[in-house]
Amino acid sequence: MGFFSGLNAEKYDRQYSDMALVRRIYPFIKRQWLRIVLLTLTVLILSGAGALQPIIVSKGVDKLNSQITLNAVFVIPLLVLCVGVTGWVANWAQRRLSMRAIGDIVMDLATTAYRAAIQHDLSFYDEMSSGRVVSRITSDTQEFGTMIQLLTDVLAQIVEGVILGIVLLQINVTLTLYLIAMMPMVFVSTILYRKLMRRVVRRGFRAMANVNAAVKETISGISIAKNFRQEKTIYDEFTEANNTSFKVNFQRGIVVSSVFPIMNALAGLATALMVYSGGMSVSKGIVSFGAWYLFILGLDRFLYPMMNIASFWTQIQNGFSAAERTFALIEAKSAVTQDNSDLKPTLNGKIEFERVRFAYRDNEPVLDDFNLTIQTGENLAIVGHTGAGKSSIARLVARFYEFQSGRILLDGIDIRSLNLENYRRQLGIVSQVPFLFSGTIEENIRYASTHASPDEILAIVRRIGEGEWLDALPNGLSTEVGERGSRLSTGQRQLVALIRVLVQQPAVFILDEATASIDPFTEKQIQQAINLNLARSTSILIAHRLSTVKSADRIIVLEKGKIIEEGTHLQLMKAGRSYASLYNTYFRHQSLEYVEDMGQYVDGNS
Amino acid sequence: MTTTSQLVEFKIPDIYHTDRSHPVRWILSHAKRYWYLLLGGLAGSILNAALGGLTPVLIGQAFNLMQDDPGNIKNLGILAAYVAATQALRALSQYVRNLSFETTAQFVERNVRDELYASLIGKSMTFHSLQPIGDIMAKTTNDVREVNYFFSPGVTMVLGSVVFLFIPIVYSIQYHISLIAVPLLFIFVYFWSIRQYLMKLSPVTESVRSNFGELNIHLAESIDGIEIVKGAARETEEVANFMSNARKYRNAVVKQGDVEAVFIPMLLMAFAVALGLLHALVLFKLGLINIGAVVSYFGLLLMLDFPTFSSLHAYSRISLGVAGARRILGLMNQENNLDQNLKGATGAIIGEIEFRNVSFRYGSNSEAVLKNISFKVRPGQRVAIVGQTGSGKTTLCRLVNRTYDTSSGEVLVDGIDVRDWTLETLRQNISIIEQDIFLFSRSINKNITFGKPDASPEAVINASKSAQADEFINTFPDKYETIIGERGVTLSGGQRQRLALARAFLTDPRILILDDSTSAIDSATEDRIQKAIFAAARGRTTLIITHRLSQIRWADIILVMKKGELVDIGKHEELMQRSSVYREIFSD
Repeated sequence: MGFFSGLNAEKYDRQYSDMALVRRIYPFIKRQWLRIVLLTLTVLILSGAGALQPIIVSKGVDKLNSQITLNAVFVIPLLVLCVGVTGWVANWAQRRLSMRAIGDIVMDLATTAYRAAIQHDLSFYDEMSSGRVVSRITSDTQEFGTMIQLLTDVLAQIVEGVILGIVLLQINVTLTLYLIAMMPMVFVSTILYRKLMRRVVRRGFRAMANVNAAVKETISGISIAKNFRQEKTIYDEFTEANNTSFKVNFQRGIVVSSVFPIMNALAGLATALMVYSGGMSVSKGIVSFGAWYLFILGLDRFLYPMMNIASFWTQIQNGFSAAERTFALIEAKSAVTQDNSDLKPTLNGKIEFERVRFAYRDNEPVLDDFNLTIQTGENLAIVGHTGAGKSSIARLVARFYEFQSGRILLDGIDIRSLNLENYRRQLGIVSQVPFLFSGTIEENIRYASTHASPDEILAIVRRIGEGEWLDALPNGLSTEVGERGSRLSTGQRQLVALIRVLVQQPAVFILDEATASIDPFTEKQIQQAINLNLARSTSILIAHRLSTVKSADRIIVLEKGKIIEEGTHLQLMKAGRSYASLYNTYFRHQSLEYVEDMGQYVDGNS
Repeated sequence: MTTTSQLVEFKIPDIYHTDRSHPVRWILSHAKRYWYLLLGGLAGSILNAALGGLTPVLIGQAFNLMQDDPGNIKNLGILAAYVAATQALRALSQYVRNLSFETTAQFVERNVRDELYASLIGKSMTFHSLQPIGDIMAKTTNDVREVNYFFSPGVTMVLGSVVFLFIPIVYSIQYHISLIAVPLLFIFVYFWSIRQYLMKLSPVTESVRSNFGELNIHLAESIDGIEIVKGAARETEEVANFMSNARKYRNAVVKQGDVEAVFIPMLLMAFAVALGLLHALVLFKLGLINIGAVVSYFGLLLMLDFPTFSSLHAYSRISLGVAGARRILGLMNQENNLDQNLKGATGAIIGEIEFRNVSFRYGSNSEAVLKNISFKVRPGQRVAIVGQTGSGKTTLCRLVNRTYDTSSGEVLVDGIDVRDWTLETLRQNISIIEQDIFLFSRSINKNITFGKPDASPEAVINASKSAQADEFINTFPDKYETIIGERGVTLSGGQRQRLALARAFLTDPRILILDDSTSAIDSATEDRIQKAIFAAARGRTTLIITHRLSQIRWADIILVMKKGELVDIGKHEELMQRSSVYREIFSD
């Protein structure tokens, strides 16, 4: 189906030249050199067998004119059989070899891409969505593999055509020229046709996407529709989209149905011409009957490969684009680079920022000439408006991003000189939207500390609300959490993430508090888990909960990357400046006074 | 064709009836409607093959002509013209064939999707709350597509190639009757080998599909969770994981390639061509047929390459189409539990709710989600329902508007069992605002008036003001005509909640059930949300599943749920006295 492939590929602007791309692809292909050599051999045999069949038959036809010997009657079919069987064996070998070679190339490419992706720092993921990254690792590498497969097939057909062409030329130049003259016409009409098809196919896809979107939207809202008894309304809307899709796809069908008929008509015309001109040559004694038959049989072996070659050009482009996207992923520059790789197995957790300047890609600096010292074991809460730079501090400590100037020191050691893997093992990070991997709760808890024993884990779990939260789950620690933890509630996912850190016992605890609504019982347990972590680590808390700021040793108020106030909650409230106003905006509604105040709305006073 | 007698909540009056007893019968009952297209396709297939077979025949005649009467260029020209003409006609027939089946495919796809969709809407809320939407989407998109492909390219190619198989037999009779032997034998062996091939192939392609699924899931997860992976320094393990998955997938693909490589039909073709040629040459030697016949016969045998090479995917299309049809039928034939209960009580509901020893489980073999719940709510009271996830809060609320029916015990509204009211009356008087607030991708105005399309603009604005939504709506340039959703503005959780409340204000239900799970980042927004909820609860019985301490504190009744049981019930002051766990929540 070479004609129909790749009609719906997306546009992609190529940056690398073809040569540059080939240079990068070469090492992957080089590893398969033995298979490629064998593949070339089998392709030659396959093409040879394919070309030989009509040649043998044509020789046989020549023998039909004179007195045919019994020998010929048996030998010719036998030769045809041998050639056919050889072709089948060569095809078998070719498929096996190419599947293995291409399978390995794609696997190598995908693994290299994945390894690179995992190593990239978070600034990379700000630019490229995870969906696109995944697509480059799987779809693009596969598309590249498909292109190589097509390349092999087309090559086989070309070789067959060339062999035949040479033989035909030797028999009669004029007839061969007639044959070759038809090729450009086929080539051009194929390309034009594909252009028309692409437009029509795209429109068909879009109409289909619309119907599916309409279905998805209304089925998602089916409860609402039923609640308000509006079933007929959404049905009518669906019907409209459905009918439109039919119309558009029917039009597509009109075009698509005509492809092979037109090609067959052209082939029929070419055959008629060949019958006539070949017959004339035979009647004039220029060529033999066998040669005439060879020209007629050869038509098919030129025409259809020509169509595939014409389709193939766009396929090559798609394949190269796919390969380039993969290499762009692999070669993206990492912003975070370490100078050294010192192993410091036990940090105490003192953190110092010295005149740090940090900006996300080409943007305004978030921190400028920033100074901060966090003592070992101190619990520091950071508050401020959105964009004040709170998360940046945490991300820099975690070394997820690179800062532009200044120094960050851990226990007095430059953060850039540390072995990253070893360093990160001593950080316990809980992000705003906790992420769990599919697997059991126990596996998720153990993720950062693979050496923890089940008993240790259980003991720690029981320290939170007496482990009651676990009893609510069907299989306790062995409960499957589902993809991304979807089978657990937000509150339960937070608990698991916090316990993960508790088991890890890191030197530094970084918490970006969730803002989601969680039931009050679980909320208390989360507080308990946080407090347990606070007790043993140096903590950086991006605080959204009132209870957190109240329990912090020190609060810093950030505004545009500068610390404008610091102290304890009570001190700052008494001072009545920025912190107090922030409290009013973000924390007031979490207080018990506020809860009591709400009573004013109860008896209809508003 | 039988009609299905299902209890449905929604029915299209003049839908075409189909036979839903078996997937193949169902597909055929859809196709039967377009019998004229199917006829055209059949005619096109036969003509395509028959005219196609004429080429080798005419070529043979040309050979005989040049052999016997070499100077007769005129007749040669006529023969060549016949070739051109028959092939042009053949192309036309092929087009008719393709177009007929393609159009049938499009018609059937449209009708199948329509039937499925109408059936889905007719199903109860019970059905929809149990069915994952991704699953439904897969059926309405992919499986419907498969039914389309069943016809085109499925039937097109299968029918086309089957006809091709018979052409050599039909045309070779004119040369010598015995020449039908090889093509006839080929037909039997061909079908046998195709069957073997497909049987071997299907487990292997399934393995490829599932391995790819595994690979993709773990890949996507590790990339989505890149922060965790890096934070826990697990890059090396994840790469090792990926490599192992990638290798498994690669091996499955190679295995499929190995099965495909042993392509017996190709070998069969080689034998058929050789044997047929031998047969023809023997007859020629015996003087029973002439040179033209040999050439024609060989050309006819070569026509067998179309069925050999092109029909493979077509057969899988047929089986995939049937499989898709089976899945769609499975979805449509699922039984509903609830009916409209047209003979039930109608009339105004006041809003008293009572649960008497209510227990509920989803299936007969699963655990009880609600255990022996009893309580009574007076009309107009505000009830706060609290508890951890899985305590049964949402399920309890769904029993009130008959999304589900109890497994044992009764739910009574105004003293009458909910099963004795008409479904219409219940839905008219009870509104639910779910946790995931769904708004349609259309204007704010259309969303608010969804339940009452004829509401006046003033009513809309009043409802919107009471719901504390009017203010933020007016900040948009298009105000109430602003389009929301994928193609429009994205609203925050709190804004969506207030729109849903406005929607509920307009329909003015007697009983409002609110699953309140949004949270406000700042106190000003929190003020508005609180005001809106208090306003919504006024003058009607309200059940609020909530985490907000203010809503709990000031409720008329608080229900505390734990693991499906009602562990405590009462006002705030009572619970503060009785329960230490409750006191904990309200401590600093």
